[in-house]
Amino acid sequence: MVRLTINGRVVQASEGEMLLSVIRRENIDVPAMCHHEAVEPFGACRLCVVEITRQEWDGWCDYVTSCLYPVADGLIVNTHAPKVNELRKTILDLFLARHPKCTEIIELAGEYGVTRTRYETVVDGDNCILCGLCARICDRMGFHAISTVGRGHGKEIAPPLRQAPPDCTGCLSCAMNCPTNFIEYKVKKGLLTIWDKKFELLTCNKCGKETITREFAVHLSEQRNIPPNYFDTCDACHRNELAAAMGRIAAWDREVQL
Amino acid sequence: MNHRFIVTPNLCTGCRTCELACSFTHAVDNVRGQTRIFPLDGGSKDLWIPVVCLQCDDAACVKSCLVDALRRNPGTGAIELNQEVCVKCMACVAACPFGCSLLDQQHNIVVKCDLCGGDPACAHFCPTKALQWLPIAPARARAAS
Amino acid sequence: MRLENIRQLKDLQKKYQAAEKRFQKKVLVCCGPGCLASGAQKISDQFKKVLKEKRIQGFSVEALKETGCHGFCEQGPLVIIEPEGTFYTKVKTKDVEEIIEKSVRHDETVTRLLYSPNGNGKKIKRYADIDFYRHQTRIALARLGKINQCDIKDYVADGGYQSLAKAITKMSGDEIIDEITKSGLRGRGGAGFSAGRKWATCKKIQSDIRYVICNGDEGDPGAFMDRAIMEGDPHAVLEGLAIAAYAVGSSRGYIYVREEYPLAVVNLQKAIEQAEQLGLLGDNILGSDFSFKISISRGAGAFVCGESSALMKSVAGEVGEPRAKYIRSVVKGLHDQPTVLNNVETLATVPVILDKGADWFCKTGTKKNTGTKAFSLVGKIRNTGLIEVAMGTTLRQIIYDIGGGIIDDRPFKAVQTGGPSGGCLPDSQLDLSVDFDSLTEAGSMMGSGGMIVMDDKTCMVDVAKYFLGFLVDESCGKCVPCREGLYQLHALTVKVSEGRATEADLEKMEKLSEMVIIGSLCGLGKSGPNPLLSTLRYFRDEYLAHIRDKRCPAGVCRELITYEINEKCTGCMACIAVCATHAITGKKGEIHILDQDKCTKCGACYAVCRYDAIDVS
Ligand SMILES: Cc1cc2nc3c(=O)[nH]c(=O)nc-3n(C[C@H](O)[C@H](O)[C@H](O)COP(=O)(O)O)c2cc1C
Ligand code: SF4
Ligand code: SF4
Ligand code: SF4
Ligand code: FES
Repeated sequence: MVRLTINGRVVQASEGEMLLSVIRRENIDVPAMCHHEAVEPFGACRLCVVEITRQEWDGWCDYVTSCLYPVADGLIVNTHAPKVNELRKTILDLFLARHPKCTEIIELAGEYGVTRTRYETVVDGDNCILCGLCARICDRMGFHAISTVGRGHGKEIAPPLRQAPPDCTGCLSCAMNCPTNFIEYKVKKGLLTIWDKKFELLTCNKCGKETITREFAVHLSEQRNIPPNYFDTCDACHRNELAAAMGRIAAWDREVQL
Repeated sequence: MNHRFIVTPNLCTGCRTCELACSFTHAVDNVRGQTRIFPLDGGSKDLWIPVVCLQCDDAACVKSCLVDALRRNPGTGAIELNQEVCVKCMACVAACPFGCSLLDQQHNIVVKCDLCGGDPACAHFCPTKALQWLPIAPARARAAS
Repeated sequence: MRLENIRQLKDLQKKYQAAEKRFQKKVLVCCGPGCLASGAQKISDQFKKVLKEKRIQGFSVEALKETGCHGFCEQGPLVIIEPEGTFYTKVKTKDVEEIIEKSVRHDETVTRLLYSPNGNGKKIKRYADIDFYRHQTRIALARLGKINQCDIKDYVADGGYQSLAKAITKMSGDEIIDEITKSGLRGRGGAGFSAGRKWATCKKIQSDIRYVICNGDEGDPGAFMDRAIMEGDPHAVLEGLAIAAYAVGSSRGYIYVREEYPLAVVNLQKAIEQAEQLGLLGDNILGSDFSFKISISRGAGAFVCGESSALMKSVAGEVGEPRAKYIRSVVKGLHDQPTVLNNVETLATVPVILDKGADWFCKTGTKKNTGTKAFSLVGKIRNTGLIEVAMGTTLRQIIYDIGGGIIDDRPFKAVQTGGPSGGCLPDSQLDLSVDFDSLTEAGSMMGSGGMIVMDDKTCMVDVAKYFLGFLVDESCGKCVPCREGLYQLHALTVKVSEGRATEADLEKMEKLSEMVIIGSLCGLGKSGPNPLLSTLRYFRDEYLAHIRDKRCPAGVCRELITYEINEKCTGCMACIAVCATHAITGKKGEIHILDQDKCTKCGACYAVCRYDAIDVS
């Protein structure tokens, strides 16, 4: 156990924890756009920046990203110091210049009082803030279907060779966790399309509802040893099946009692 | 796990109190959450079956989760879904043979029964004791009698 | 042959030295990057050819050395005759026979090929007497230009691997670390961190596996010190790395070489093989129980891969993106193991320190900045090339005494040190001592040793724009302050250079720079605004001229200059012929007329006019 001070309050945390999780546990609102607990902290968006100091630092302080700064005994943290707020505003302002049409950015920037960018608007700026979550989560799922390509201001997210990625199973984890909902996918006539790759969606053998893609289901059966027939039925019909089975026993019970 | 759900279908009146209790207990930002328990039609007249996660030992949901968001809480025995870790891939929803991993559409999150941390609200509020949360030993005793 | 102990190494040294002594003369052909570019290989081949035809008493092809960079690239190809130290410049193949005849067979000189400062006719025979060399102190570069590029015989004859032998057989790891710490050696890769302290930290960490890595990524535009060492004296790097490995307890080393340096890879590889054959690398070095293997890792062709955490990812085969270093790489580096990373020059200095002692090393340089530093001196300076000076030498000494002043005696304007992370210093700073601390205090950086000299025709806004543009492309693009912040800073400098900026924009630049510095993840972003901030600090007037008067005083910024035709025009029609937009009209023999609306300021007319009739303002 370590003891540290956050915004004047003394809090406890366990060794190895990152500052951001302690801050969140304390219900302090600190923005974080490139962080997800399923993957290692990354430190790209820099919004989770906080000011840290220590008694023995004699007034000197440092600015660190809380998502990957490990807690330590005696740390004094200020999540909304003037420089911290200024840096967050600057980042949101830079985002606003690059992603002028992104509603998630417009909203968050608004919360920090930034409504118009002071910088030059990037004309063809799309909504990808390059947080890398999609690619990192895809890696974590074990697929490695997409990654960042290029560097500098022209960096982007893409599948290898910009072609339909062979390793993608259409699990949609990238799209589901994109903080700006930038990743497009389409479901039409039993087909899911993402990253220019088409997938057949399994349908429930009882009600016809679409569930996950065949490729994802096959991956799960093969890699995780799940009986393939589990994927034949949707969740609602599975529950009905269970109710019916238990119902038969109960009805039999009733007869016996009568 | 030293407790189990004991379902006595013939006592269930289909009042759906369990569903309400669950939904309120799992509210998100003060908005009612998706219920994890479903009193369903048992196939005969006035026969209701409360269907809820059985916290399987070798659970399909746990096996299907590629990011380890589902873990058993050793204290309560419940398989808990860590919302922060879940990437909403729907694998567990598709894999559970009892349909007990669910999408909470309103909040766009995946949820499942967590036994309310050891005292399930559904059983707690069931007015007819059709659903009970009982220690295993007495249950055996009851079965023997 | 494998050497089993230090005795055998000493014997081998004696044998090689004796072999060298057979020759009365030595011919050194500089085959460094600069001289190779100006045709040194042909010169060397010609020497071999002519020598084959002529037999000369007391000389053989073995006494012809293809050496690493001698430094004075400006005057290449260079040929040096030892023992006299006769220094021939700009040698051509047709000169070779004459050199052999006069200087090798006899003791005469080919005066025509001697160096003459300022072209004033006065010839200097020995390189040691030339200002360019006279003011230098060479430690890391000492062997460059003296021995065959990668011949372990020459290296051993010159005392090579004796320091490693001494380390393994007579010293403990801690004793070596103490000696290096005492020498005050600071990292030559830029940050200037104490090498001894870095090693000590690494050694203290509990771990079975430790790595040592040599940083040969050298990404600063114009810098080539590390390249010269890796190509010209690769064994020094290997020896330094092996000593570091022994000191910290590592058995695995890597040399990360920039993608654009294929010759360095070849030479290092050759050197590794030679050393392994002699048992100076590999298992049970010199019969001891110290084993050490070195592999070469090819760079990924990105500037940011020189940054320690990005480099280690790249060595591990991942994308070279920096990670946050709240846990330092000495503690958790390559494959999450404790790792020492040192620059090429740092490591090449290590064997010398062990050989001559920390006290000897401390005699050169200043108290907190001991020893020497190599620089590649380029830009608008007379003597460009590779130099090494004692720490604490002033900028003035480097630029005027060694560099010979500005080309065409134009006024000095600024000197840029530290590459894209560094800054520009004006003439008021010419007496600044060149060392890590003074340069940082003055708003620049030591960096890895690029030094670009600029004259009054250089526009400082343009310089800032250039470096920011470089970084916008070279940033890894991971974190927002660097990726987007540098982009906007670059956009703002473009705005200034085009005369569209206001004074409020300068303030905006300074504010944003501060945020980029505190907000960025790695050193690239954290130092990226330096070129801008230093020029704003020392050359603010120039920015204001662009803003207030819409004028580029140096006449560089295209949008702000106008070309005008004056009365010297003879009506030769040359400019009309080259103007792509037909902005110039006029008849033969009559003064031409330039239509400002059509002019795109390409400068073609200025370039072709032989009558000085085009004014730039
Ligand atoms: C963007 C960036 C680029 C760098 N490039 C180089 C390089 O090309 N060569 C180098 O030796 N060090 C480079 N460094 C410094 C290294 O991170 C590291 O500090 C150095 O290699 C350590 O060796 P030293 O202590 O011997 O100087 C760079 C640092 C940054 C932030
Ligand atoms: S697509 Fe979305 S998740 Fe992927 S990097 Fe861009 S913003 Fe992040
Ligand atoms: S939906 Fe969430 S809990 Fe379920 S398998 Fe996917 S990541 Fe795991
Ligand atoms: S500061 Fe620049 S180079 Fe460094 S991690 Fe951030 S984006 Fe990449
Ligand atoms: S959440 Fe910490 S840097 Fe993005």
